[in-house]
Amino acid sequence: MIPGWLRRQRGPDAVGKTGVAGAGVPAGVDLKLDADDLNMCVQCGLCLPHCPTFRVTGDESMSPRGRIKLMREVQDEGAPVTQDVLRSFESCVQCRGCEPACPSGVPYGHLMEQARESLAEEHLITPRWQRLAFKPLSQPKVLQLGSSALALANKTGLVPRRLGLPDDLPVRQEPLRASGDDVYLFTGCVMDAWQREVHAAGKRVIEAAGFGVTPTNELAPCCGALQAHAGLAGETRALAERMMRTLSDDDRPILVDSAGCGAAMKDYGHLLGTAGAAAFSARVFDIQEWLAEHVDRLPSVAAPLDLRVAIQDPCHLRHVQRAHAGTRVVLRPFVREIVELDDDGLCCGAGGAYSVLEPELAGAIRERKVGVIDQVEPDVVASANPGCSMHLAGAGVATVHPMQLIDQALSQPQPQPVGA
Amino acid sequence: MDALLADLRSALSDDRVRYDAAQRSLIAHDASVFDGGVSGPVCYPVDTSEVQAIMRIALTHGRAVVPRGAGTGLAGGAIPLGAPVVIAMTKMNAILDVDLDNRVAWVEPGVINLDLSRHLRPMGFHFAPDPSSQQVCTIGGNVANNSGGPHCLAYGVTDAHVVSLEIVLPSGEVGTLGTLGPDDHGLDLRGAFVGSEGTLGIATKVAVRLTKNPPAVRTLLLSFASVRDAANTVSDVIANGIVPAAMEVMDQKITIAVENFVGAGYPLDAAAVLLAEVEGLEGGADIDAERISDLGRANGATNVRQAESDEERALLWKGRKTAFGAIAQIKPDYYLHDTVVPRSALADVLETIYDIAKRHDLIVMNVFHAGDGNLHPLLLFDARIEGELERVHAAGADILRACLAVGGVLSGEHGIGVEKQGYMEELFSADDLDHQNRLRKAFDPACRANPGKVLPMGHSCADIQALRAVPTGVWG
Ligand SMILES: Cc1cc2nc3c(=O)[nH]c(=O)nc-3n(C[C@H](O)[C@H](O)[C@H](O)COP(=O)(O)OP(=O)(O)OC[C@H]3O[C@@H](n4cnc5c(N)ncnc54)[C@H](O)[C@@H]3O)c2cc1C
Ligand code: SF4
Ligand code: SF4
Repeated sequence: MIPGWLRRQRGPDAVGKTGVAGAGVPAGVDLKLDADDLNMCVQCGLCLPHCPTFRVTGDESMSPRGRIKLMREVQDEGAPVTQDVLRSFESCVQCRGCEPACPSGVPYGHLMEQARESLAEEHLITPRWQRLAFKPLSQPKVLQLGSSALALANKTGLVPRRLGLPDDLPVRQEPLRASGDDVYLFTGCVMDAWQREVHAAGKRVIEAAGFGVTPTNELAPCCGALQAHAGLAGETRALAERMMRTLSDDDRPILVDSAGCGAAMKDYGHLLGTAGAAAFSARVFDIQEWLAEHVDRLPSVAAPLDLRVAIQDPCHLRHVQRAHAGTRVVLRPFVREIVELDDDGLCCGAGGAYSVLEPELAGAIRERKVGVIDQVEPDVVASANPGCSMHLAGAGVATVHPMQLIDQALSQPQPQPVGA
Repeated sequence: MDALLADLRSALSDDRVRYDAAQRSLIAHDASVFDGGVSGPVCYPVDTSEVQAIMRIALTHGRAVVPRGAGTGLAGGAIPLGAPVVIAMTKMNAILDVDLDNRVAWVEPGVINLDLSRHLRPMGFHFAPDPSSQQVCTIGGNVANNSGGPHCLAYGVTDAHVVSLEIVLPSGEVGTLGTLGPDDHGLDLRGAFVGSEGTLGIATKVAVRLTKNPPAVRTLLLSFASVRDAANTVSDVIANGIVPAAMEVMDQKITIAVENFVGAGYPLDAAAVLLAEVEGLEGGADIDAERISDLGRANGATNVRQAESDEERALLWKGRKTAFGAIAQIKPDYYLHDTVVPRSALADVLETIYDIAKRHDLIVMNVFHAGDGNLHPLLLFDARIEGELERVHAAGADILRACLAVGGVLSGEHGIGVEKQGYMEELFSADDLDHQNRLRKAFDPACRANPGKVLPMGHSCADIQALRAVPTGVWG
């Protein structure tokens, strides 16, 4: 009486359904995904609305549930990796908004990173030009040169507008100097080249709380986040090991003001699978997260900035590090008003290199975000990730780092008490 | 096939008519355990005229059509049988008009349930049906399944909140059912369409009733040492004339899984918890909350807690509403039942359900809309283990019969779909079914709208076996 045709006949014997292997379509790629992790998804769909690509397309193949299902078909049922399967995987922003939304706790981020690594090994994704593009990230001098060139090209109108780069990329800046050895401030690669004023602001704020700061500069050129997203986990491992060597002579906290980098560095423990890496990851803090514990040491200001600030949590702070509460704690004393966006922390579409690789989807996702921002009519948007700030700035949204706001509040002339 | 695709693409656009293997394989499923198998082209229309065009083209090519919302259905309603044209409604997701004076809003069917309530919040209103899947399911899916939710205890299910519908018939004609004004129509065809699971046509616009947000809300969490105590409390509350906005029960196993996800402070040691919510004016809500607490204690409640803040309330509800999804923490697959029994029989039926699961050597969890007697036993299994699925089905059949035996019905809210078709003959007489089929044929004489669903074989338009006999790839 009950129809006997049920799904979930998973495992090697089940028949592949995602089409047949044909000319140029590789069959049977082993994605090397953890079988139990993959099995955790019950296909309930509760993650769908938290996925930016599903939100703007309504397309199941651009949803977490769809992507997981395709991973299963490839891994368990030997389905071929067609262009459409690749499209589904490559369109993922890796924002991981689907993770906190999933009641079953499917570790989507790790599944997707592993899938990309396996596909990159087969040279099915991340073509040569992309691999070359990631190289300079770990070589600060080359990056600074490249960035200066890009900034110039952008100013002179050589960069296509669709990339949405803001007009005022900095051309050249001086490196930051150490002021003590209480904490490290991770300066990284892209961000150091493009947004050094954010590091400078963060450094001044931490110093105002009475701590000495060592910028990592050449000690730790790059965290490897973008490489991991592109499936080049081997490069990320090498960068992680290098950073652990240079920053491990003592156990002082390592503060990170870019959410994407912080998330990657907190994941070294998982990536390398060693106790040493786990211990290193435990020293990594988002700068707001860490400062929230010491906020009482900051000088108080008589007049907070007269601004209505909307907080746009970077995905890698909110969904991956889950440390976004700190931003509110540190910002609250220094601005007139904080407003929340009513979209459950949906991604803005920046996604590291995503906005460059997938300009159309990234643009559609950003448009949605701009609509949500407009609803609350802020004076300025605070985002703790340089990629997000630049992406939003590309759409004309005034975006600053929370540290810049605090820095500004602390540095503005304070009203003198009467009679002083 | 090529001609069908070409026609569809010229009516819509290339990128909104998909026929790749990956897409078809994904669209072959919803959130149920049923594997429908074969989808034809998948279309993403953006307006009513495109839906009309798809219907006409499908008819010309002798294809059936299956509407699809978010694919969260649990009875397999959106599963394509026999390579039909699938019409994915997700791009028709605009809120068209909000009329606060008449408390009605026109929306497109692809609007997500919670998005609608979110949109209405600043105006002080919401859409009352709140399925646990509300953060993702669509208004069109709610209409088609006549979905309910925790707060439907006080407000009624979707049917009570749909005023009028624009539909496209399988012939491609557009019609309007129901009226915004006083009810001057003879037959309530709107009522017939709500709950028709896509078998009468496709809703392209929906006029929904807006419900005012209550001035005061109190949320209680009562812990019990037995499921029976919780069930008895529920009966007593209703018997005492209190009408709470919602009354939900979860047993210990599911509560532990849920708490692990949300961290809302659900007790891990209680055999069952009752989540009860009352609404109204400040004073009234307080009195009702007090009375429910007293009735709980009289039935042996071991703890009674009231949510202190909106955040705490939201977290408690988040736990309840994500309960099904939390299952994979325990087993990778679940089969969810949906049946309604008289409230007075609740405690006994629950005991029977636990016995049945034990007999079939399965884990069962119970989480349910207690106020309505709407049970959702979840049978847990691992499809990779030989024989588990068969045991799940045997147990499922026993559970359904046990419910029917005490005067229950087949589906509380998830619909019949392909899941419960086979049981329709146990509930309805041949005469009943014949009339249902005639109604269906009045809308869809050529049997093109979601065939093989709802009505059992022999009564339904198409023979399910014939539909399923089309092998994968034949159309490609
Ligand atoms: C975790 C979870 C919790 C759930 N909780 C509840 C609950 O509390 N209460 C409840 O009632 N249900 C619940 N459900 C079931 C499901 O979410 C509802 O039935 C929902 O209304 C389905 O909406 P959908 O958009 O996903 O529709 P789909 O699953 O895509 O489709 C459902 C049916 O509607 C038809 N359909 C879709 N759009 C249209 C249209 N525009 N015109 C005509 N027919 C259409 C389809 O053909 C199909 O027959 C739950 C499901 C999950 C996964
Ligand atoms: S990833 Fe999680 S939320 Fe999404 S469908 Fe799977 S189980 Fe459900
Ligand atoms: S990581 Fe982001 S884009 Fe990718 S599936 Fe999850 S929510 Fe969607």
